[in-house]
This record gives sequence, structure tokens and C-alpha cells, in this order.
Amino acid sequence: MASINHQSAFSDRLDLNIKSIQSIMGESSDLIVREITVMQQIRLALIFLDGMVEKHLVQDSLISAILDRVYDEMKPVTVHYLKESIIASDEVQLTASREEAMDQLLSGSVLVLLDHSREALAVSLPGWEDRAITESKAQPVVRGPQQSFTESLHTNTTLVRRRVKDVRVRVQTIPVGSMTKTDITIMYVQGIAGDQLIRQLTERLRNSQLEKVLEGEYIEEWLLKDKPRTIFPLLYNTDRPDVIAAGILDGKAAIFIDGSPFVLLAPSLFADFMQSAEDYYESYIYSSLIRMLRYLSLFICMFAPAIYIALTTYHQDMLPTQLLLSLAAQREGVPFPAFIEAVLMEVTFEILREAGIRMPRTIGQAVSIVGTIVIGQAAVEASIVSAAMVIVLAITAISNFVIPSYSMSIAIRILRFIFMGLAAAFGAFGLTIGIIVLVIHLCGLQSFGVPYMRPYAPYKADAQKDALVRLPYRLNTKRSRQRS
Amino acid sequence: MHLGTYRRIGYRMVLALLLISLTGCWNRRELNEISTVLAMGIDRADGQYEVSVQVVDPIQMSQKSNTQRSATIVYSEKAPTLFEALRKSTTSAPRRMYLSHMTFLLFDETVAREGIKQTLDFLLRDHEVRPDFNMAVAREYSAKQMLSLVTPMEVLPAMDLMKSLRVSAKAWAPTSAVNVVSMMQMLTKDGLEPILTGLTIAGDAKKGITSKNVAQPATFANFKYQGIGVFRDDRLLGWLNESDSKSYAYITNHVTSTVANVTCMDSDDKFVVEVLGAKTKMQPSIRSGKPYMTMKIDVRANVGEMHCMMDLSKPKDMYKLQTEAAKRLNQVIMSGIRHVQQRYGVDIYGFGEAFHRKYPKDWHRWKADWNQRFEDMPVEIQIHYQLGKFGKIISPFDNSPETRKE
Repeated sequence: MASINHQSAFSDRLDLNIKSIQSIMGESSDLIVREITVMQQIRLALIFLDGMVEKHLVQDSLISAILDRVYDEMKPVTVHYLKESIIASDEVQLTASREEAMDQLLSGSVLVLLDHSREALAVSLPGWEDRAITESKAQPVVRGPQQSFTESLHTNTTLVRRRVKDVRVRVQTIPVGSMTKTDITIMYVQGIAGDQLIRQLTERLRNSQLEKVLEGEYIEEWLLKDKPRTIFPLLYNTDRPDVIAAGILDGKAAIFIDGSPFVLLAPSLFADFMQSAEDYYESYIYSSLIRMLRYLSLFICMFAPAIYIALTTYHQDMLPTQLLLSLAAQREGVPFPAFIEAVLMEVTFEILREAGIRMPRTIGQAVSIVGTIVIGQAAVEASIVSAAMVIVLAITAISNFVIPSYSMSIAIRILRFIFMGLAAAFGAFGLTIGIIVLVIHLCGLQSFGVPYMRPYAPYKADAQKDALVRLPYRLNTKRSRQRS
Repeated sequence: MHLGTYRRIGYRMVLALLLISLTGCWNRRELNEISTVLAMGIDRADGQYEVSVQVVDPIQMSQKSNTQRSATIVYSEKAPTLFEALRKSTTSAPRRMYLSHMTFLLFDETVAREGIKQTLDFLLRDHEVRPDFNMAVAREYSAKQMLSLVTPMEVLPAMDLMKSLRVSAKAWAPTSAVNVVSMMQMLTKDGLEPILTGLTIAGDAKKGITSKNVAQPATFANFKYQGIGVFRDDRLLGWLNESDSKSYAYITNHVTSTVANVTCMDSDDKFVVEVLGAKTKMQPSIRSGKPYMTMKIDVRANVGEMHCMMDLSKPKDMYKLQTEAAKRLNQVIMSGIRHVQQRYGVDIYGFGEAFHRKYPKDWHRWKADWNQRFEDMPVEIQIHYQLGKFGKIISPFDNSPETRKE
């Protein structure tokens, strides 16, 4: 490989060009070279990667086209002639750079090399197995569109385009990753999305020093690399096209990553993570109530074990007498302090949960049975934990599932342990300090220049129409929430 | 980010960890390290205080318990002061006494007669004690005996005592649910003397302290609230009977609901009114240089029981009943006031306070010998009685031959 300089342009000898490509690819067995000779003297080669191209199209629009029509027309064969008149494909590129030709080859093009020509044709005929569009698994809804994104970038952008039929929708693709060369597509609505946001995004992506991009998280960390470290997600991700469509209509930019069914939205606010697509598809009364319920769940999920610890180890005077007595009765004979008890149960639950996600689906049932018996019954009966603790754990765990965004629920899960520690060491005092620090942190965060806690802090009276509650659409026409 | 930054963050985390582990948890106490005190009794014995506390045995509170042990334990200890006695109890109890959930404080009569201020100081000073517990004075029996009584309804006797007091104060009036805050007010305000409800045991007290007490439907012994104790300053003077206690409840606006019987005008039969609400307004005035008290009482009541031969569907008859009931109430209240004026001569009604508000200058002249003035003070009552509904039947059903002839 070292002997052949693959930086250089093509030579005018076909056999040398073929050889150099083969050697660059390290004689990979999926590299297919099909040589054709037309009119006894003109030699051509078709080079493509097995499985990356649509084979019957290669057959129809390249091989038979060249073999049949070149005979018929009897014209001098040049790459230009081939491109203009022979090859039946919508995307044909002429290139003199071997490096570019290689990139094309790797992303599913067929290279057409002609003897005595220093240029190559890259015919884009990508075709590989793709997952069909299925229902959203990460954010299912009862009522509303059921489609979800797939791994294919084009399918994904189409799914959004189909929902927003406006000429101002802009799509911009930037390949990122020195090795993966993943196509990252930014989609936004011109005039609604801020220019600065788009400029910032494209600049960041162009200047990326990433080696690989396999999922949105790679991009997320690169885009936010100079932001304060935080446990909270600053970019919303979803596999729902309707949410992305709503997002770009709100003036956000959608970031599609080729190969990932999750699309990012920038900027994203705390409130976005607490909303579900279904909020907009059900009656506003129901949606508003559900949203409040979600915030309540957020509170429970973050603080329930901590409050339990604080109350039972420091502030017994805050409990009603009867409740105190019944809690005390349950704790009789439990060997651990409340904090250890809580950590024990929470960690057990996290283990079960992780196991449940990673396991083959067929044996998922087994884990839940073991989990129920271990956590629910045996631990209480053996007096290792108190029944009240199991109740607290259960409500905490279930509340966690109410949070619509998985990224947000992860953040809350982690914070829960910090608050438990604070409650165990300092009681309600520690809890209060912790909450103050948390609020300060949240209010200091920004996502692409937009305060994270908007519209709660800074308070935007107008935006409250679609924040904690959702007012009916006729009262709620502004889409000013995200714009700074 | 280079290595130095990581090191700096590492240092900070270690510091934070030290902060938590070195300072945290300093007054942590797990639920199974404390004894929840529900009620406290204070007796006088050998010139010392004998403090009894009723604590919960938590095992008995769980539904799985199957032992035959009592749900509460009474510890008692003697010491010259309350705090000492309380801490001394750890010599016989495995856990520290936790006072936040104390719902009931009981004095025996000796302590009440000698003065209760001394005992209250600790209870108000200690940060753990929540000043919302009710108080009462044990009559005839010692506070310790009262706390040892096994009560039928609630598993925890203290709860039984507390709830019974609150319910009876609401539905029956001649008891008064005095909590420690109102006690403090009564002790510190001028022109208002404190009172406390009395508590006694009805039945065989000896059998009452065994678990057999609740083994059959009729208990051998049960507690019973009885009368209101009149205090001068913090010393108990004596007791009011039921009627006078009720009069006290009316005057001090403590009647939420009660029942009262009234004799019919034309026979010895009675009818009973259910009072739904009463509101009393004190209107102090000065007549010929002396304090004169007028009280306006608004009463709303229904007919609860009827034995007079009357046709209640006639407004005129209802009106008669109403006048009769008002007359009876007037009697009760007046005799209550008269008894207190004559027998005790202490202003438990807070008349003095009312004068203090309206005539502050005169009050300062009267303050010193107020109780004397109270004794001779004329009191006038104006009752506005509203007898409303008579219930689901109209006249009393009566099938006796004489009445049918009419």
C-alpha cells in the first residue's frame, strides 16, 4: 500500500487505477471489480462494495446500459459522454480525486473507471437492508402518529418533510467524523429558527475533530463541549417525527444523524423534557392535568427516598403520631439505619432495571418475577428492610417512568442518590441546601444561548400558556418560547 | 482538561466527603432507638415529682404482632425536678424518651393544688416538646394510675384520653380541651384565670389496670372526664359541677354542639334540644362607677327529643318551646356564674380581660383587686334563641287512651 500514493489523482491507465483502489482497500473481499470491454478496445471497470449498492440497478442502469447503448450510438466513449447520455441514474458525480472517489465508494456508489481517462464517475446507487418504519418504542403514545424514525437518514428527513410542507424548510448536510464520515443533517425553518443558532451549529459541526459518530450523543458532547458540566440533558432527543416537526416549527434546529433513529433538537429546555407529544393530541384539560402530574412525579422520584430518610432519622416530630408509630413498628427489628436500607433497595432496583433493559426479551419475565419476590416480599419478611421502604422505593421507581424523556429520567435517578446522602447526613437541612444548589445550577444552564429553565426562570408570562399547563390552541398561537 | 484540573476536583470531592462524614449525622436517631412518649403524668410523692410516661411498644403496633404484651409501657421515676426524672427513666428503659409526640399531660390533684407552673417550664423550654398537648387533672386517683389504665377502644390509652377529651369538648361542652398554649395564655393574661378538665376512673381501678379490663364488652373500669377545675393563678381551688361547667363553656364560646333538657311548661315531662352552635359576646360597661357585664348569646338549636304534648307543626308552640329553652339556658348560665362568684371568686371567664380591652384606664385601677370586684359584679344575659327543626316526626307518638280521646 505504501508503494502506491493514494493521495494522488488517477492515472490514465485502467489497470493501475484498479490496482491502487484494491490496494487502498487492502484487497477486501467485498470489493467487487467488474471489467467490461466495449467494441473490442474500450475498457471499463465498475467498482463497488458488495451489499452497499442496489445490485439489480447496477445491472440495469450501468452494465446493460453501457453494453447496449454504446454499441448502438457508436460515439467516442468518454466519461462525459457516459455521464450525460448513457448512465441511467439520478446522482452521478465526476471526480478526478481518488480520495473523493473512495469516499463515494464507501458510501454506496459505483465507481466507473474508463481506460485512458484521469477522471472517474461515481454513480450513487446505494441500496442496503434497512429497518422498516415501526412504532415508536422510546416514546409511545396512545393517540397520535405512531411512526418512528429509522436508521436511514433519508427516510428520517422525509418523515419530517412530509409533515411540514413549506418552502422555507432548509436541509443542510455535513459529514462528520474522520473515520465514520457520518452524514449529519440539520433541518430548520428559515425565518423561524434564529440565524445565530444555525451558524453556530454548522460551524461547530464543520470544525469537529471527532473520529466517529455512531449516535447523537457523540454530536451532543461535541456541540456542548464548552458548556458547564451538568447531569441534565441539554439536547432533546426523540425518535418521533411529529415531535421533530413541532420542534422545527417552534424555531428549533433538528439534527439528524445517519445511522441513528434518534434525532436531536437544539435548543432544548427543561420544560421540553417534561412534555410528551400526546399533550398536544389530547384535550387540553387532560394534558394540563397530566403535565402537573408529571412534575409531581418528578418531585417524588427525586425526593421521596430522601424525605423518607430525613423524616425517619431526624424529624420524627414532623410525622403524624399514628404514622410515626406504624413506621416505628415496621422498623422494629430492621438491622440497618434508614439510609443503608434505602441505598440497598435503590441499588437493587437499579440492578434489576439495568438487567431488564439489557436482557434478551424472552427471559425478561424471569427477572421481574425474581425482582418482585426479592425486593417485595423476601426482604421485608426477613426483616432486612421495612415495608415502608419498599413502598417508598416502588412509588419512586414508578414515578421515574412517568417522566417522558429517558435522558431526563436518568438525570433524576442519579440526583436521587445525592439527595439521599444529603438527607442521611444533614436531614431536611441538607435536603434544603441541596435543592437550593440544584435550582441555582438549573437556572445557570443554557442550551444554545437559551436559559434552560425558561419559561419558569426567567419567567415569561406569555409562555406559561404552554408550560405547566397547555391552554387551548385558540389561546396559544405564539411560538415564542424557545426564541431568545 | 489536563491532569491538574482532575486533581483539583479530586481534592474538592475528598473535602466534601470529609465534611459529610465528620459533621453529619450528629443528632441522628433511628426510629428503633427512640421511645415515643404519648402521655405524661406528674404526681407528688415524698416532696418530689414522680413522673410517669406512657410509651408505645412499637412491636404491638404492627399488624403481625401476636404476643400478649401490652401496647404501652409506663415508666415512672422520682426526682426533685421534671427533667431529672425524665432522664432518670433511662435507667430502667432501653431507649431515650422522645417527647415530640406527647399528646396528653396529666397532673394529680396534689400537684394541681400546689401549682403547675414549675412543671410547665421544662415542657415549654425543651425544643423537642411540641406545645399542642392537652392537659387534665386526675381526680381521686394518681396520674400514674390513670396512665396505667387499659382502655377499651384505642390500643393506645393516651390516644383514647386525647380523642375522648376533644370529642366530648366538641359534642358535650362540660369538658374543656385545654392545650398547653391556651394554658399559657390563661396563666399570663390579666383578668383571666385558668381552668382544667378533671379526669377520673369510674369502676374498679385495680382491675382496670390489667389486660382483663378489655377482655369483655363491659370494662371493669374506664376513665371519665368530670367537671372543670377552677384555678387561682396556677393553683387548683376546686371543681365545678356539670351544669356549671356547661355554663363556663357557653360563656367562653366553647360550645360547638351540646344537648340540654328542658322541662315542659305544662307537665313534668321534658324535651331535649340539640344545640348546633352558640356565640357569646361580652359587652362590658360601667354603671355607677362599677363594672357591669352584659352578655349577648346567640343559640341555634333543633328539637332532639320531645315528650311534651304539643303540636310542633304550629309555629306558636314552637315559639313556646323556644322561650322555655332560652329561659332554661339563662338559668344554667346564671347559676354557673353565681357559683363561681360566690364559691371561688376567681374570674375564669375572662370578664376582666374584656374590661381591660374596653376600659384600659379603669382596668388599671381595678386590676389589683379584680377578683373582689368580680365577686360582686352584676351580670346580665340576653339570649337570642333560635329553635329550628323538629326532626322527622312531628308530635311525640302516643297511643295512651286518655290522649286519644281528645
